[in-house]
Amino acid sequence: MKLRPSAFWVCAAAVLAGGLALTEVLNNDYYFNALYVILQGMLMAVAWNILGGFTGYVNFGSAAFFAVGAYTSIFLDKYFGHVLPLPVLIAAAAAVCALIGLAVGYLSLRLKGVYFSIATLAMAIVFATLISNWRYMGGARGAYILTPDKHLWFHSYIQMLFMAMLLLTVAAVAISRSLVASRLGRGLAAIRDDEVAAECAGVPTLRLKLVSTTVMGALMGVAGAPYPFFVTFVDPSSAFSLFVAVNAIAMPMIGGTAHWLGPVIGALLVGGAQQVITVTVSSELNILFVGLMLVIFVSVAPQGIVGLAQKFWARRRAP
Amino acid sequence: MDHPRSFLRGWLASGLAALAVALASGSAQAAEPLKIGFSMALSGGLAGAGKAALIAMEIWKDDVNAKGGLLGRPVQFVYYDDATDPSKVPGIYTKLLDVDKVDLVVSSYGTNEISPAMPIVMRKKLVFPSLFGLAVNDQFNYDRYFQIMPAGPQPKLDWSKGFFELAKAQNPKPKTVAIVAADSDFALAAAAGARENAKKDGFNVVYDKTYPPSTTDFTPIVRAIQAEKPDLVYVASYPPDSVGMVKAAREVGLKAKMFGGGMVGLQFAGIQTNLGPMLDNIVNYTFWVPAPTLKFPGIDEFLKKYEAAAKGKGVDPLGQYLPPYAYAYMQVLGDSIEATKGLDQAKLAAYMHGHTFDTVVGKVKFGKNGEWAQSRVLMVQFRNVKPKDLDQFRDPGTQVVLYPPQWKSGKMVYPFNE
Repeated sequence: MKLRPSAFWVCAAAVLAGGLALTEVLNNDYYFNALYVILQGMLMAVAWNILGGFTGYVNFGSAAFFAVGAYTSIFLDKYFGHVLPLPVLIAAAAAVCALIGLAVGYLSLRLKGVYFSIATLAMAIVFATLISNWRYMGGARGAYILTPDKHLWFHSYIQMLFMAMLLLTVAAVAISRSLVASRLGRGLAAIRDDEVAAECAGVPTLRLKLVSTTVMGALMGVAGAPYPFFVTFVDPSSAFSLFVAVNAIAMPMIGGTAHWLGPVIGALLVGGAQQVITVTVSSELNILFVGLMLVIFVSVAPQGIVGLAQKFWARRRAP
Repeated sequence: MDHPRSFLRGWLASGLAALAVALASGSAQAAEPLKIGFSMALSGGLAGAGKAALIAMEIWKDDVNAKGGLLGRPVQFVYYDDATDPSKVPGIYTKLLDVDKVDLVVSSYGTNEISPAMPIVMRKKLVFPSLFGLAVNDQFNYDRYFQIMPAGPQPKLDWSKGFFELAKAQNPKPKTVAIVAADSDFALAAAAGARENAKKDGFNVVYDKTYPPSTTDFTPIVRAIQAEKPDLVYVASYPPDSVGMVKAAREVGLKAKMFGGGMVGLQFAGIQTNLGPMLDNIVNYTFWVPAPTLKFPGIDEFLKKYEAAAKGKGVDPLGQYLPPYAYAYMQVLGDSIEATKGLDQAKLAAYMHGHTFDTVVGKVKFGKNGEWAQSRVLMVQFRNVKPKDLDQFRDPGTQVVLYPPQWKSGKMVYPFNE
């Protein structure tokens, strides 16, 4: 399962080139809509996995980072009179969410296990209440954002959003991969396995955990930033939806949390299935599907698909 | 010699006739269905209403198909469940248009599910009949948007106008008002409108607060309102809170001259039956009641079909609030297609703007912004409601129309409770 750096970058470039080619070949906006949703889920899953998978801290408040990213876009777009380009909004959302990640990390990382998870859930409620009462941001009524007319050289705005999301997701995967392969990643793994032992061995646990929450926050903010342009109407109940948080947890859990590839595979599988189920069976079954998959994987294959594959190869290699 | 020839001619003629009939029926069978696409809240928070709307739309489809369809083509629905989740809506509408290749689209139910479809529909320049969206087009200014809820050209203000007009007409004129609203989209808009109307009509607002949507105990809120001794209490709430608020008001023995206004839920037969006599004298908004002034052609027939279709489906058993409008927005579309004899979107939009439609909810005329040209938000008062009796809500006497004057069916009992 080890990929040489050069091979990884070739794959990443191929994915981007494939995406670009798709925008030329495929003249059907539906597929770009569906792919956008899958990629958004993938980006959230990759971000969640940095803290949840690599560091072992389960975050239930992913929707808060996502929503703050979305609302940062709304705020800046409104404040500057709809002139800021999307990359600026994404960068701003990343910065805001990174700061929130850092602050949350600092305030709550002394909490462990289930207490940390509850604290992140509470944080999501705090932000949802804040936004619900902030009239400038639309409050509980929700905020509209109009899709700009310009979409560079792409045929439609959704194609441009899709490419932007693809680029961001590939970047997030690259960050996640380089993080897990680095000295920092080994420190995070040490924290996950035994925090006290890691601390005794000289791992700067607090600093590493702060890096982990900050990167996670920033990436989730990035996932949320283009969302208002995708739906054109954002209200607290949809932005802070529990389903966003559940997907962000389910995708890495199903794909495998220990490897950077896990959330990618999980997102492709879960996100893809959700898109198919929505238009073939029913949207209600989506939730059932995610729940069932989660139960099955947690009980039968806790290491996820990547874990299963690793086990399979190890057995084949064994004499 | 004539006989065999006429015999032969007869056979030939009947053969040709049979062939013509076969061809005609063949071409009718082969006629491409006219596909109408939409997303609908069939699960999630608005599922109850969404399912009821779908039943009404299916009744319309069956009615139209029984008459031979539209443009000689049978009508077919292509729809997906948006799970009351706005983020699912863009994907669904692009699928409908780009993959399923539907001929026309109509909206889902509710503001949050209508808005995300707007950019997609606008890009394709399609007419967009919409079902119960509050002021959606204020943002988009789309000239092919047609909203069926009779909230009028200024939905925010018109929603509570009747309540304050009725109060103003009382002698002596009440002076103070309390405004309480759920901290959520519709309720906040309704409360903002009520505030403006109160100011315009010279009422003094003595209480003006919102409560979180998760509130379950309304007694403290009602007590706080009571402490201010307002003459009028305007409530903008969602179904669960409306029930809580009415129960709390009765429990505390709230004293006010008028109570109600913008409570969603008091229009649903299930809630009405559950609250029973607690509803007495409440003045609240609605869009249709079985009053003699509102007996539009076709409405009784429609409701009969709806009641039969809704049985056992867990939706509003009487369907007086949303379903007639769900039927009517399809009627508007169907009538426009028939009149323009085609699917040219520009022609359809021009026709919809320029004509008054006869529907099961009465005459519908759209204004410039696609809302009803004139508001028909009714203010009704509950009277002598009996406990646990669903049938009474089929009768005209239980809900008396007080406002607007042209639909008035009785006089107001005033005050509410003193």
